[in-house]
Amino acid sequence: MKVSELCERLGASAVTGPFDDRDVTKVYTSDLLSDVMGFAEEESLLITIQAHKNTIAVASQLDMPAIVICNGRKVPDDMRESAVQEKITLLTTKDSQYTASTKVYLALSGA
Amino acid sequence: MAPSAIVERARAAGLNAIAITDHNSALNSTALHDVCSRYDNFFCLYGMEMTSVEEVHLLALFDDHKSALDFGEFLYPMLADIPNNPDRFGDQVYVNADNEICGECDKYLVGALSCSMDELLVETHARGGIFIPAHIERPSFSIMSQLGFVPQGDYDALEQHYHYIKNNNYDGISLNAGGHPCTTASDAHYLDDIGRGFIEFEADRLTVAGLCDSLRRGGVVCRAV
Repeated sequence: MKVSELCERLGASAVTGPFDDRDVTKVYTSDLLSDVMGFAEEESLLITIQAHKNTIAVASQLDMPAIVICNGRKVPDDMRESAVQEKITLLTTKDSQYTASTKVYLALSGA
Repeated sequence: MAPSAIVERARAAGLNAIAITDHNSALNSTALHDVCSRYDNFFCLYGMEMTSVEEVHLLALFDDHKSALDFGEFLYPMLADIPNNPDRFGDQVYVNADNEICGECDKYLVGALSCSMDELLVETHARGGIFIPAHIERPSFSIMSQLGFVPQGDYDALEQHYHYIKNNNYDGISLNAGGHPCTTASDAHYLDDIGRGFIEFEADRLTVAGLCDSLRRGGVVCRAV
């Protein structure tokens, strides 16, 4: 499913524009960047509350198309700027990681 | 940052003591030691900024660079086996006092160790080091961001981020959560950052024992410019 379509299904807001509106087929959720680096698959969508610049560095390393920041957490300016630079779409939602993950799961499994 | 440049910049900023705390590595300690030895009345504590399994940043500081190096060697196998990507994250080189490259760290040094905060505290103390959770109010990689509270522990101090000391117009000795004494630092990743946060205390020379003593007596003042 395209990032833009997922954004709609999540009811999320895009803090950065969707760049190449890439396909999402894999998802990972974690709030420890060391865990993401160790276990997330490349090109997966990241669902997290770690709203800081370091998350972009890790997501970029894994060629992730987008990050969903949950729980209404505010994205600091330097994180947003870094996301623009790395061409990673940043979505924000008031949903918890559980709810966001459920919505993404349902969307991707064709529900 | 080249060791010689670090010391020059520190002296220019009016400091006569520094601590070196590279992420999860003490391999540049020898170079710093050799550079500092060229000066009278300029001191250094040697250590690391460790990342625990909880992803909390923690400072371990030692009197001598050999203790720091030993500790770094002990911890390296416990660092996640993720290779560094120099194009993305920069080189992880270690140098000698003349800024010649001696080697490079293969593993991504900003990753997490497989040890908990408690384990790192016990190990640091067992090796005669001082243990200070770093930048505790920072929104990332701090005790507060990762755990939401300061657990009971035998910390020698809690490090307040210089940003909070500066912006709260802080001036004076601070006692922090749980009655722990407070330090601050520049957390310099670039030369221009050096001196933006520092501590003042009285001692004939800089030692772990002397610093701990000053902290316990409330004799350490935190400053930010």
